[in-house]
Amino acid sequence: MTSTTQNALSTKVGRRSFLKMAAVAGAFGATSAFASSGVTRAATEDEVKNPFPGSKNVRTICTACSVGCGITAEVQNGVWVRQEVAQDHPVSLGGHCCKGADMIDMVRSEVRLKYPMVKEGGQWKRISWDTAYERISKKLDSLRKKDGPDSTIFLGSAKMSTEQAYYFRKFAAFYGTNNIDHQARI
Amino acid sequence: MANTWGYGAMTNSLGDIQNAKAIIIFGANPAVNHPVGFGHFLKAKERNNAQIIVVDPRYTKTAAKADIFAQIRPGTDIPFMYGMLNIIFKNGWEDKKFIKDRVYGIEDIRKEAAKWTPEKVADVTGVSAEKLMQITRVYAKSTPGTLIWAMGLTQHTIGSSNTRMAPILQLCLGNMGVEGGGTNILRGHDNVQGATDMCCLSHTLPGYYGLSAGSWKYFAKSWGVDYEWLAGRFKDKKMMSAKGFTLAKWYSGVLAGKPGEDKIHNAGTNLKALFVMGNGITSIAQQAKVKEALDNLELIVLADPFVNEAAILTDKKDDVFLLPAATQFETSGSVTATNRSAQWRYQVVEPMYESKPDHEIMFEFAKRLGFYDEYTKGMLIRENKKTFKFPEDATDEIARIIKTIGLTGWTSKRLKKHTDNWHMFDEVSLRGTGPMKGEYYGLPWPCWTESHSGSPVLYNINRSVKEGGMGFRNRFGLEHDGQNLLAGKGSAPKGSSNKDGYAEITAKNIESVLGIKLSAAEKKKIGKNWKVDTSNIIAEKCMEAGIAPYGNAKARAKVWTFPDQIPMHREPLHSPRQDLAKKYPSYKDKANHYRVDTKYISKQTEKDWSKEFPINLVTGRLVNLNGAGMENRASKYLAELTPEMFCDIHPGLAANHGIRNGDMMWVHSPEGTKIKVKAKFSYSVSEDRVFLPMHFAGHFQGEDLSHKYPEGTKPYAVGESANTVTNYGYDIVTQIPETKGGLCRIEKA
Repeated sequence: MTSTTQNALSTKVGRRSFLKMAAVAGAFGATSAFASSGVTRAATEDEVKNPFPGSKNVRTICTACSVGCGITAEVQNGVWVRQEVAQDHPVSLGGHCCKGADMIDMVRSEVRLKYPMVKEGGQWKRISWDTAYERISKKLDSLRKKDGPDSTIFLGSAKMSTEQAYYFRKFAAFYGTNNIDHQARI
Repeated sequence: MANTWGYGAMTNSLGDIQNAKAIIIFGANPAVNHPVGFGHFLKAKERNNAQIIVVDPRYTKTAAKADIFAQIRPGTDIPFMYGMLNIIFKNGWEDKKFIKDRVYGIEDIRKEAAKWTPEKVADVTGVSAEKLMQITRVYAKSTPGTLIWAMGLTQHTIGSSNTRMAPILQLCLGNMGVEGGGTNILRGHDNVQGATDMCCLSHTLPGYYGLSAGSWKYFAKSWGVDYEWLAGRFKDKKMMSAKGFTLAKWYSGVLAGKPGEDKIHNAGTNLKALFVMGNGITSIAQQAKVKEALDNLELIVLADPFVNEAAILTDKKDDVFLLPAATQFETSGSVTATNRSAQWRYQVVEPMYESKPDHEIMFEFAKRLGFYDEYTKGMLIRENKKTFKFPEDATDEIARIIKTIGLTGWTSKRLKKHTDNWHMFDEVSLRGTGPMKGEYYGLPWPCWTESHSGSPVLYNINRSVKEGGMGFRNRFGLEHDGQNLLAGKGSAPKGSSNKDGYAEITAKNIESVLGIKLSAAEKKKIGKNWKVDTSNIIAEKCMEAGIAPYGNAKARAKVWTFPDQIPMHREPLHSPRQDLAKKYPSYKDKANHYRVDTKYISKQTEKDWSKEFPINLVTGRLVNLNGAGMENRASKYLAELTPEMFCDIHPGLAANHGIRNGDMMWVHSPEGTKIKVKAKFSYSVSEDRVFLPMHFAGHFQGEDLSHKYPEGTKPYAVGESANTVTNYGYDIVTQIPETKGGLCRIEKA
């Protein structure tokens, strides 16, 4: 045991904090957490004031609805660690609905699609981006040559940035079709 | 709405609703769908004692906050509003000066309104004559009044008439172009306005330029490519100007040729490949047809941060690709809020896992398909660069090209400055202070020049053009039926050098309308008209003279190019009132409607649908979910709030079918499809209708498709899609599906 842990245990421990520590110990495995030194250490002075020292706040905008609420995203070492409402935003004035408050969890969701996949013979198969690009481009190219550009439809998105939406429209134009649409149609 | 006065967008802002003395809401549920925006409505109530009136088929959470609620039968908003106008005209409550100077065609509206007596309206809409009179009195007498709508007005075969009717009501009351007034459409997704402005739409080019050869030539030039080369990318020039398939009915493009399917006109080919990026296509009507279409495609590409449930719906065994797209927090760019204000959405983190931002995926495909250099050249032109930086150079490319809605002032530098200083703006007026003085938050378009303030209230003539003022747009010619379409005397924006109505500004008329002389150099540089003047001389000169580049005309109540010149009531294709369907029949079937022959009257009269399907079907949103629900059902916490798909049903109706609260029930549609959902007792619906939330997918006609998700990607809640049972029916102009007024039959499962 490290000296900090000993100190912690020798002082009066409330039931709640004892349970917390027990949970931590449980998570690491009862023996290993306490056996190897350096796993736990004293919090630095900065850490006592702020659990995420060196983090920065990024002003950004909710992606749920068209109200456009402000979000203050706290980022530490490239990880989105906390989300705060934007009290000083002129439209949302510190408000968030449950969807907006959940933006951080949407981004970090465990069920995100993590890599390109293809269905082959009814089975999902992981592939590389390069393979995906190559196979899709080849198929699109052959369809375009055989059946013409109007054999493809592009369904884009009100969930893209304005610049991406513009480039999506432009993509269909350069592909050679007006078969392009998005959610404003519904 | 664009056909009434020039632009189809929310005219005022959420904050401006605080200035309203009355708020009338048709087919929108902001308390649930835009909760933070709804805070501004409640402030209007606190500050001005504004009366909130809700007209909706359901007693929504918004209705719960209303002073007056009218439970209308789905699809009867036009009779309701004509009923209001009937009472308004009878009592002389209309704004006569406003109508005389700024509106064309009200005489026809008067004639039609005279037919809609409160008693007749009560029969058609189900709202009592007394309630209609009460609502009309309160609304007409408490000006300024703001009118709110969302998809409850648009998702009908007559949606494009509904969205003209509401502006007409506002015009008659003089509620347009004033603070606290306006027609305020609440957009759904975060960037519906921005993506619509960029026209990810099958009938027009970015900035609503249309698809004519002239528009293509303007864009080819602005993109730095040869027009003939671009035209050569298409089958031919005819197809280059032909509207494409829509999100609503693309499935016909695949299925055409099979028995019973609608015919198509698509350059001699069916659709073979589908490329989807950020679109939950499991939330559009006719899911059974969508599934069949997916099954019959040769290639499906789905790029999304989560598994697009089209991949789960289809039984296609090969060539279904899932590409992990980054979320918008893993890239940056601008986003346009419902009120036309832009904000810069800064990147929070790098793309997670192997995900990539949408544009990187597009650029790579452009490379592999051989048009990358031409495709991205537009970003290099403004500053004659060798390489571009996305998204900033794309923002600036858009600002350089899009004149129609006044995006010239939306440079990436300015948009970032607004977001960086969001604390410097007033919540009601959006006016900036300190370094942001003289600008409105997010520079609501039109933002005519790089020093323009933005325009927070459209068509407001009490401000100078420089400060966001303008009349209605001159978009429909100078006269019709011998009547002048320009605005009347004295109705020019404040400080204008020309006090009357005037045409849109061109190189030809600029000197006479503005009363100026151009130098020889200016004459050489100036574009043909304000829409294609990349020199921006027209806009700059207009600002100095207090002239709106798009002219100063009358709004029109009559659209002579539409099947109904003035809004007319027509019953939904599937109406519970067959007597009224005979009296107010739908349109003739429409050939080549976005490449598809679309049924109207033939569907409506195929049989008496109401016999077998006697219950009205209404769909809508839940507070914790959005769109197709793909993103939010992937959140443990949000999914937990509504873990299962359900159907709101009145206990009385349920009892008639032996259904108890929590029982499973079937909902059957006239198309022969069905869904199995949990009954949830609710008095928010009356006994003649049921409500279904539209955010679920992953079940299909009673079958659980959970096993089809790739490992580790199944969302925390799955269920039947409401759109498996929404009915056939499409708007006559826009082709938006009629999901807010169909029929169904229910039974205990």
